[in-house]
Amino acid sequence: MTARVTPLALGLLAAAGWAAALAVLSARVELVLVGLGPLLALGALARRAPAPAVRVEHAVSADRILEGEHVTVTVTATADRPVALLEVLGPLPAGAVVAAGRRRAALRLRPGHPAGFTYEVAFPGRGVHDLGTIVFRARDRSGLRAWEGRCVMPHVLRVYPRPTPLRTLPRPVHPQASVGDYVSPALGEGIEPGDVRPFTAGDRIRQVNWRASLRLGTLHVTQRQRERNADVVIMLDTLAEVGVPPGTTLDHGVRAAASLATAYLARKDRVGLVSYGGVIDWVRPASGRVQYERLADALGRAGVIFTYVAKDLGVVPPRVLPPRALVVAVTPLLDRRFTRAALDLSARGFDLVALVVSPVEITRAALGPARSVALACRLWALERRAQLADLRRQGIPALPWDPAEPLDVALAGSGRRRPRLAIAG
Amino acid sequence: MIQLLGGACALGLYAAPLAALPTPAVAGAGLLPLLLAVTGLAGRWRRPVTVAACLFVAEYAAVRWLVGGPADVLGAAAVGLGLVVLLEAADLAGRTREAHIGAGVVAAQLARWIGLAALTLAAVVLGSGLAVGLASALPSASAPVLAAAGALGVVLLLAGIVVRAGRARSSVRDAASAAGDPFPGVR
Repeated sequence: MTARVTPLALGLLAAAGWAAALAVLSARVELVLVGLGPLLALGALARRAPAPAVRVEHAVSADRILEGEHVTVTVTATADRPVALLEVLGPLPAGAVVAAGRRRAALRLRPGHPAGFTYEVAFPGRGVHDLGTIVFRARDRSGLRAWEGRCVMPHVLRVYPRPTPLRTLPRPVHPQASVGDYVSPALGEGIEPGDVRPFTAGDRIRQVNWRASLRLGTLHVTQRQRERNADVVIMLDTLAEVGVPPGTTLDHGVRAAASLATAYLARKDRVGLVSYGGVIDWVRPASGRVQYERLADALGRAGVIFTYVAKDLGVVPPRVLPPRALVVAVTPLLDRRFTRAALDLSARGFDLVALVVSPVEITRAALGPARSVALACRLWALERRAQLADLRRQGIPALPWDPAEPLDVALAGSGRRRPRLAIAG
Repeated sequence: MIQLLGGACALGLYAAPLAALPTPAVAGAGLLPLLLAVTGLAGRWRRPVTVAACLFVAEYAAVRWLVGGPADVLGAAAVGLGLVVLLEAADLAGRTREAHIGAGVVAAQLARWIGLAALTLAAVVLGSGLAVGLASALPSASAPVLAAAGALGVVLLLAGIVVRAGRARSSVRDAASAAGDPFPGVR
């Protein structure tokens, strides 16, 4: 801890010195007596005072929350000897707001009697925050000397993007080998009826379609379609963003990505993530609850790192982008490098769907109402419509999404039909 | 509550010169420090209160110099005590700005002020006795020089104490102090 003389001591010294000077100038003894009070108060500085052993601890009610949720921070302080005033400043990461209580406290400590306070912090946006640093200042009884210190107890709080339930999802064209919720074009074991064919040796009796057999006069069996899962890779554009946190295009994109990941994982699909930006980050496709944690963690960290260097998707390992995977590109289409990367993926045979987060309304809201802004936004919207048409011409289904509307509205436009039947081979 | 107490002290400091010389000029001159003190206390801003304290002292000195007559020992000691309470109240108000105030903080401060008042009273009684003895022993011609030297000596001594206390730091320099005031908003 570092000892300091407080500004109060300087104020008292100024008053005492001023009174002494006026006493000499006016030759009045009262001014000496006026300065006597500040002088006696300052006398406390003459004796040495050891720094009090103050111990400040804190506890945070959670280490993983969703956007918009609160955590409770409880700060407790103890000291080995009396501390007349302990100022404590609790942690408050950037972007967070105090929802209830106060993060700052003035406490009086007595040995063996801990004192503390509690406050609630709300996190409107996603991110990884450190709630580990508490600053405190202990003052002696006179208030003229203070010891400052900071208590660092690392406590990482992960704020995950809040997913919204989705009823419609872009359907993968190529299902994978594992069992899942998608009806495969291939015939085999399953629940969904696929085709009716004549009975052959080896067919089970339970597969016989008696109604068709009676009508056609020979035994026929019902074939069923396989139910398979899919590999889904969400490709998030972190090259550029517009807007004000926590409502930037990237924030909305991250929420959309979290919603898609949650919905696909609920369908037993393997879901991966590629954050395409100044730094390429990825999560290998997998399924299950743990995978959701991995994805949410990566999405929580996602941010724009500016660079002029165009990253090549060649640096992404093949296991992150498995063949025949459905790639959902979530992008505001602000940077042409992402468009090039998406076209590259499409050319390599990936089943690609682009969910285009519209930056127009976000920018309009950030700039405020003005005729020039409205005109610029209209022109920009026209330009973006041309961009989307260009993407569609290249064979990429582009789903425009205005963040003011539910994500389901945009995804309903994916319009993918069930695959045609194919004979199991 | 602390701010109210500080405000009461500011009013007392405003009234002290008026009690000695009740004229419109004195009342008008006292309005500036009163306004500064009230502004500082309301805004929990320490510096205007320090300036106001110095202006109160100047006004009190001017009035006592104009009025003349015998010294008002108890009144002057009360003014000095009022200055301390005003400055400390402003300081505490700044410290507790937008803060959760724990139990006993204000009570401990009040107890300290009561103790300081008792100490000041004892020092006044003791000092008055000593001054009477010294005044008869010392030649009157050297009194101004002695007074100036004494005042300078006391102020230098106190400044030395403050500077020494400021330098008495522990061997471990904390990053918080190196980075400046870690408590934002305390002015």
